[in-house]
Amino acid sequence: MLEPLTQPLSEPFFVRALVAVALSGATCACLGAYVVLRRMAFVSTALTHSILPGVVGALLLGVSPYLGALAAALLTAAGAAWLASRKGTSEDSAVGVMLSVMFAAGIALMQQANSWRDFAGLLFGSVVSVGGDDLLVIGATAAIVLSGLRALHKELELASFDEEYVSLLGARPALMRVVLLVLVALGSVACVRLVGALLTTALFVIPAATGVLLGRTVPQVMAWGTACALAGGVGGLYLSYHVPAVPSGAGIVLCCALPYLAARILAPRR
Amino acid sequence: MSFFASLSRHLSDAVFELLPSIPYAPKEKPGCPGNAVEASGLSASARPDGPIAFRDATFAIPCGCRTALIGPNGSGKSTLLRVLAGLTSIRSGKVLIGGESPRLGRSRIAYLAQRPHLAEQFPLKLRRLVQMGTYAHHGWFEECRHGDESVDRALKQLGLTELADRPVYSLSGGQLQRALIARAVVQGAEVLLLDEPYAALDQPSREIIDRFLFEQGHAFTVVMATHDPADLGRFDRILEMRDGSVVTRHACSGHDHRHA
Repeated sequence: MLEPLTQPLSEPFFVRALVAVALSGATCACLGAYVVLRRMAFVSTALTHSILPGVVGALLLGVSPYLGALAAALLTAAGAAWLASRKGTSEDSAVGVMLSVMFAAGIALMQQANSWRDFAGLLFGSVVSVGGDDLLVIGATAAIVLSGLRALHKELELASFDEEYVSLLGARPALMRVVLLVLVALGSVACVRLVGALLTTALFVIPAATGVLLGRTVPQVMAWGTACALAGGVGGLYLSYHVPAVPSGAGIVLCCALPYLAARILAPRR
Repeated sequence: MSFFASLSRHLSDAVFELLPSIPYAPKEKPGCPGNAVEASGLSASARPDGPIAFRDATFAIPCGCRTALIGPNGSGKSTLLRVLAGLTSIRSGKVLIGGESPRLGRSRIAYLAQRPHLAEQFPLKLRRLVQMGTYAHHGWFEECRHGDESVDRALKQLGLTELADRPVYSLSGGQLQRALIARAVVQGAEVLLLDEPYAALDQPSREIIDRFLFEQGHAFTVVMATHDPADLGRFDRILEMRDGSVVTRHACSGHDHRHA
C-alpha cells in the first residue's frame, strides 16, 4: 500500500531532489516571512526573474551559473535602489523597470546562445537533474541565509515593525533592507534549480503568506511557512513523479498553494 | 517536534556564540548636567528643502521638569521634538540635549511620534514590543538574554501585565500608546519627548499615562506637545510656539531631579 511513497525513494535522483526541496523550501519560507511582512513581494519577483540573464550570461562566458545568477540578482537590487533614490521615481516603478530590463536582456542573451531548449529548465525548473554539487551550493546557501536571519533576528524584526525606532537606537534601517535584499538574492539563486526563474518567487510568498495567517510571532510565521514549504515541496515531487504530465516545479508550487488555501479558509479571523 | 525545536535552538545559540557583540551607537555618559535641554538661536525646518518651521529659538528645560509644548497646528511643535530626538537636522543655532548635540542612538532619550508608523498586522506580542526597549543596551548580533525584570516592571506600571501576550494588532490606540511608553521606560530613557500622546486616547489609558508621568515621582524630564488647555496646570513649564518663534511662559518650580 505504501509503495507509491517508498518506491520513488529507491531512485537516487528523487532523494537528491527531496533534500534540495527541503533545504531551499525552509530557506525561502524563513526569508519569505520578511518578504511578506515588509511587502517586498514585487522586489523578490524582480530578483528571481533577473536570474535569467545572469545564468545565460554565465553560460556564454563559461563561468559558474550560480555566480552569474547571484551577480545579476545583486545588480537588479542595486539598480532598483539607485533608480529609486532620485525624486520622481517611486520604488515600485524602479523595481518594475529593472525587472523588465533584466528579463528582456535575458531573452536577448538566450537568442545569442541559439538554444531555447537548454534554458527551459532554467525558466521552469528541473529538480530531477539536481546533482551532488548543486546540493552543496543549495546547502551552503541555506546555511548562510538561515544563520544570517538568526544572527540579525531582532534587528530585522524591529526594522520591519518600526523603522523609526531602529533609527532612534542608532542602527540603520536602510542597512537592514540591503541585508535582506542580499539574502533574498542568495535564496533565489538556491531555488532556481527547483522551480525555475519564473516561479521562484512563489516559494518566497506562498509559504510565508500561510505562516502569516497562522503565526502570532515572527518565529511562528517562519515555522508554519517552513511546514507549508516542506509539505508542498514533498507533495509536489511525488505528484510529478506519479503524474509525468506535471513538471516538478509547477507541482511544487501547486502543492504549496493547498496549505495556503486551507489556512485561508480555516484560520481564525484576526 | 520538541527534539527539532531544541536542536534548532542549540544550533542558533551556536551562531551567537561565534559572533561579537557590537553596540549600535557609542555609549552615553549617565546623568543630567543641570539642563536637560538648552537651545540658543535654534532654527529648523521639517524637511531639508522645506520652509523654516521656527527660527532663533532660545530656551532651557531643567532636568526633571515637565514641559508642555503648545501652539497651533503647523507651528513647529513636531519639528522641534524631532530635532531634539536627532531625527531632523537643524538649520542653524545650537541645541544641547542631555549635554550633547542631538544625534541618533541615544538610549537616554525617547521619542514617541504622534502617529507612529508601525507595520500593520505584524505578528508581534505586546511583551516583545516592550522588550525592544532593551535593544538599546544590547547591540548587533546579540539576543536579549537580560532585561526581563525591567520589562515586567514597566508592563505593571502602565497597566499592561494582563495584555502582555496579546498581539500588537489587536490593541486599542490607548493600549498601544501605553506599550510604547513602557518601551521607552525599558530603554532607560531619562528624557521623554512626547508628540500629542493624548490624541485619540480612551479615558482609562489617559489616566494611567497621567498617573505615570505626573504623579509617581519618576525622575523623567518630559517635553510634551499638547493641545489641551485644561492640561497645562500640571506642567512645570510651558513653551509656546507661535509664528515661527518659541516663548517660555512659565518657570520650572521646585523640581530638581538630578541623576547619579
